[in-house]
Amino acid sequence: MMKTRSVLWAVCLALAVIAVFRTACPAAETIKIGVIYPLTGGAAAEGRELRAGAELAARIANDVMPGIDMDMARRGGITSLGGAKIELIFKDHEGNPTLGADLAKQLILDNKVVGILGCYHSSVTKTVSAVCEQYGIPMINDSSTSPALTQRDFKWFWRTTPHDVTFTRDLFELLKGLTEGKVKGVPAVPGDQIKKLVSACEKTEWGSQVSETIEGFAKQYGFIVQKSMLYAAKSADLSSEVRSLQAVKPDAMLFASYASDAILMVKTLKAQKACAKIIWGQNAGFEAPEFRSTLGDDVVGILTRTVFAPRVAAVKKVSGQVNELYKKEIGHDLSGASARAFTGLQTWVEILEKAGSTKPEDIQKTANSISIPGEQLIVPWRGIKFAAAGADRGQNELGSGIIGQYQKDKDGNIVLEIIYPFDVSTANMIYPFKAF
Amino acid sequence: MEILVGSLVAGLLIGMLFALIALGLTIIFGMMDIVNFAHGEFLMLGMYTALLTSQASGLDPLLMIPVAGAVGYALGVACYYGFVKFLLRGPMVAQLLGTFGLMLFLRNLALLLFGSEDRTIHSGVLVNRAFDLGMGVVVPATKLAGAVMAVISFAAVWLLMHRTRTGKAMVATALNRQGARYMGISTERMNGLAWGIGAATVTIAGALLVNFWSVTPYVGLLFTMIAFAIVALGGFGSVPGAFFAGLIVGLITEIPGFWDFFTYLTGSSWMAGISMTPFKYTWVYLAYFLIMLIRPRGLFGWKN
Repeated sequence: MMKTRSVLWAVCLALAVIAVFRTACPAAETIKIGVIYPLTGGAAAEGRELRAGAELAARIANDVMPGIDMDMARRGGITSLGGAKIELIFKDHEGNPTLGADLAKQLILDNKVVGILGCYHSSVTKTVSAVCEQYGIPMINDSSTSPALTQRDFKWFWRTTPHDVTFTRDLFELLKGLTEGKVKGVPAVPGDQIKKLVSACEKTEWGSQVSETIEGFAKQYGFIVQKSMLYAAKSADLSSEVRSLQAVKPDAMLFASYASDAILMVKTLKAQKACAKIIWGQNAGFEAPEFRSTLGDDVVGILTRTVFAPRVAAVKKVSGQVNELYKKEIGHDLSGASARAFTGLQTWVEILEKAGSTKPEDIQKTANSISIPGEQLIVPWRGIKFAAAGADRGQNELGSGIIGQYQKDKDGNIVLEIIYPFDVSTANMIYPFKAF
Repeated sequence: MEILVGSLVAGLLIGMLFALIALGLTIIFGMMDIVNFAHGEFLMLGMYTALLTSQASGLDPLLMIPVAGAVGYALGVACYYGFVKFLLRGPMVAQLLGTFGLMLFLRNLALLLFGSEDRTIHSGVLVNRAFDLGMGVVVPATKLAGAVMAVISFAAVWLLMHRTRTGKAMVATALNRQGARYMGISTERMNGLAWGIGAATVTIAGALLVNFWSVTPYVGLLFTMIAFAIVALGGFGSVPGAFFAGLIVGLITEIPGFWDFFTYLTGSSWMAGISMTPFKYTWVYLAYFLIMLIRPRGLFGWKN
């Protein structure tokens, strides 16, 4: 009986000691970041990519991963906040701007997030950032490219990805480079043979802005946009659109499409035996994994702007390391979407680390002065530094794009070769585009 | 000229398929005055059935049309006896909300079962093939097959309803339920049959559509709206009305092509400055609205 009582006393004492110890040394706080992506609906495939990219970045930030050459991987949490871990709370906006705004309010008021990351669709980013601005909560936009988003003088909005003005300028530099013989593997093309352009862009915030940007740059660079149309991404049929584009016998066809309409567009181009010397897509659907898997060999020769191609890994060590890790977990290479989500969350981590605080005002001050060098990033940018004032307030000034072309490698696999910038191109450009 | 011919051909081809999609809706409405909001979800299930059975069996997706039709028929009959039959006892609002609930249920069930991403057929005898009709008009083989099958399906339904005893019993039930009952017709069975045929025609349309259009659990909404416009235009309950209204709606969606034709014909700069493509479906819904306003019974609808 005495023995049993002694054991009970010992257990109680041990529990008391543990309780006191736990009170004296509180566990490191977690920092909640709300992440709003399209996890269902037409852009679900891209949403999955974005989510996987953000999750991988959070894991690298929370654990110590010495095999990866970036500061975030060596710390094991936010050291300036006592090793606090990043906790991501994902919400699905389904491509719906109104739902996005509701989710942002929910994250801010109910989940008490420190800040927000997202949202891919520019139209959703627009409403979500307006909510963040209203509540004074910082938002980092990793993947929306409508130029208008950073032209609103918002004080709580920062964008890491380059926007469509940068990307579209890249396209026109490529077209100009073609006429000047700068493109690898293509002799100079006479200017009058590549002058007539047509564009078809989906008609939400993003596509409309791309359409306007194309028209602006075409004037500046001396090209003629013969047909510029907006279309509904959820169309059942795009044959009239393609027929209209074909009617002017264009030299180059330019598109801004999400995944399902990009696939339907290329299928319709093929069905109507459309021909142009260049077919270019403004990322999004043209870079979605299902675009390649669904259309197979039909994508060979199509150009897409992007911020990441696996070929970058060959020349940038840290990209290769993260890409290997991603590939091991997800089964395929990082895409433009996942690489941008990774970089967006990495930016959140670096800002929190430097701020040493989760107060919105401290984060705001730090975001306006942060400078992340390019060597820390997996994307081929010079770094991350936000414009603190001016017409493009909150925009990363050091971002850049690349233009890739789907080609077949020697094993018959379809890969995205880098065509632009000219100095880092990884293959000869296929020009003109082979007829379907 | 090739734009004009191309737009006409494309409008008629897609119109035939639109008509087949609307056929089931008009049959169900004609029989029991019930608006089936879940009609587009039946189409979606037809698309998934053709896609998944084709992938699982390795057979051509076009061979899956009977499978899709059978699944649709079974689904329609099950929906009627398990659900709609009870709704008919309630007020009109219960019927509306009931089929609306069915729509939400089927859509979310599809989300659970198939996920939300777009799925597309990659291979098939007609997939990625096209016929050059001359004058610069190229017709995708899958759309042509869809149009031909739509015409065959319409003919089959018309023959069933006008040349068979069962069909005549269905028409009699639609015209005068009580009278039909006095004549010994089981109106309950006719209702079940109408739901079966209505669902089968739209799942067959789905099996044809999936050859050139990707499927997601959300795909039904657009087609439900188009089907409503067709049924309103053609007349609620009218089979020939659905066919001709389908063609008209198909041509309406080609307005951007006709606009281009007249732009080039006249060389008008102001016309060239206006793009019609963003409004492609606006004209369809406008036609729907005007028909409801001016002639609520549609072009071929019954007076009473």
